[in-house]
Amino acid sequence: MSDATLILLLSTVTTGVMLGVIFSLVAVGVTIIYGSIWMPNAANGQFFLLAALFAWSASVSWGVHPALAALLVIGASVPLSYALEIALIRRFYDVPNRNISYFVLSLGITQILSGIFSITYGVWSDQFRIPPIVPGVTLLGPLPIANNRLVAMAAAALLLALLFALLRFHRYGRALRAVFQNRESAALRGVDVRAVYRMSFILGNAVVFAGGVLFACAYSFDLTMGWTMAVTAFAIMIIGGPGSVLGALVVGMVFGFTQALVSIFASPTIAAFSYLGAMLVILLIRPSGLFAR
Amino acid sequence: MNAGIRWWLPYACFAIAALAVPLLLSGNRYFAFVAGMTLISVLWATGMNLLYGYTGLMPMVFAGIAGISAYLTVGLVAAGWSFWPAMLVGSVVAALVGTVLGLPSLRLRGFYFTLCSLVIQTVITLAFVYFVNLTNGDTGISQIAPPKLPGGEALGGLAYDVVLAVLAVIGVVVLAVLVDSSFGRRLIAIREDEGLAEALGIDVTRQKLAAFFISSLFAGVGGAFYAPYVGFISPRSFDVLVSLNIWLMVAFGGRGTIWGPVLGATLLAPVPFLLQDYYTIKDVVYGLLIIGVIVLLPAGLVGGLKHLRPRPAPAAAAKAEPAQ
Repeated sequence: MSDATLILLLSTVTTGVMLGVIFSLVAVGVTIIYGSIWMPNAANGQFFLLAALFAWSASVSWGVHPALAALLVIGASVPLSYALEIALIRRFYDVPNRNISYFVLSLGITQILSGIFSITYGVWSDQFRIPPIVPGVTLLGPLPIANNRLVAMAAAALLLALLFALLRFHRYGRALRAVFQNRESAALRGVDVRAVYRMSFILGNAVVFAGGVLFACAYSFDLTMGWTMAVTAFAIMIIGGPGSVLGALVVGMVFGFTQALVSIFASPTIAAFSYLGAMLVILLIRPSGLFAR
Repeated sequence: MNAGIRWWLPYACFAIAALAVPLLLSGNRYFAFVAGMTLISVLWATGMNLLYGYTGLMPMVFAGIAGISAYLTVGLVAAGWSFWPAMLVGSVVAALVGTVLGLPSLRLRGFYFTLCSLVIQTVITLAFVYFVNLTNGDTGISQIAPPKLPGGEALGGLAYDVVLAVLAVIGVVVLAVLVDSSFGRRLIAIREDEGLAEALGIDVTRQKLAAFFISSLFAGVGGAFYAPYVGFISPRSFDVLVSLNIWLMVAFGGRGTIWGPVLGATLLAPVPFLLQDYYTIKDVVYGLLIIGVIVLLPAGLVGGLKHLRPRPAPAAAAKAEPAQ
């Protein structure tokens, strides 16, 4: 009996941490983009899915080692984001109220990508699984846990730590935070605001891609994951406070644990209801979020 | 030409066209069905236009409201009601729900309101999936019987198309009358500058909620007639993509004009049916159009055409507007 309870507890904790770091990664990526260029990127879920599907194609169809595939996919996000920035995003940098234009634009991108996925990947399979990076199982007390998941978890946590260090100590990170706070004074102090915009769009998307790849390494996934992730990432961003990286991190971890608990004790629909309800309450009561400065 | 006739002529032409198309296509049931679906879309886009085009609010919950009306109407008919009172109850309930869902617009501006309505739309879709005993979940409700006429005869085929055409014409005329009234001018004042409108003594809360009620009534009537026309409803019939597509019809045609959304719906609603086997490409086409509208045509087709013509003097423009 106590063994069963322990297993339940441990599996809740490990699943919670795993989902929490992934949620945090994606939400941090989304919030970096919103905080700098005011783009509420509704396409984040489809980017997440795109990364997962690319990694699946590379590792399953072309036989690349999954770790290398993950790096390749994250690297590929840079030219993709750059092209998108040149083609669409930079046109709106000086438009007032651009967040609504960006929001609709990203919904358009979402619809295009989900259409493409259902024509291509949707025809090939409905469940996708990537071969493990590291085979084998570790015993955590009585709970067996796949080494593969531990590696993905560690990589996600490491990425989050690196991201924090970058934002806090590197001069790019400092410029980014200066733009978050006040773009006019940042410009007056000699920050190239447009370069920061571009950098944050590329960085934010790379982080979302990394989240997708690491999720795909740890779990099997299907095409509906895109919308679910988009809604979850938005809920985390709104509750934590748009533009607040710390908020995204903390609320992301809370969401991970909630998801782990709810998926064990209730249905995933209840989890979705609770996220959306929490998001509505925050929107109506405190639209600047819990961690706003 | 006399001003009254000039005002009425375009609507009369539209009414003739809307009634003629189902008659002309009645030989081919499939094309007639596409025409009927287009007419429902015209009604929906016209309703959305009151909020998005004239009041300056961008809700993403339109399809969810239509869905509430559709499910309620089908449920009441299944419980033994006749279609017509069920349709009325469904539409009015949907309009009331829409009014309540409009309340956040009093506090939230721009993107935050749109996001809030998107969340509500997602919740409604989840609720359609979740309450299986009311909605039959993801499977949906199929084989919905057509409405019965007072004589006991089933409404079907050409007669149903004509009813839809009449509804679309009524919708467009109602919008035109509303927009021309002092109510419409108050809405436009709110769209242009909410603070200024309030300072001028306009009761912003009441106008916005009235706009939500009327707009949701359009959604509800469309939803109630959609269900038996298609014969099948599921949560997917009223999900966020449908809301987005109705928005696209309004924005693509030209928000804030009477004919823009009519044109947008007429051009876009048939697309998925005409693609047939390549039906899934619809999402890609619509997505590209959304980006195209945002980047290239913020005023839509009709708004873009207006810019091409030399502009009349501002005083004359106000007079010329209704005739278009």
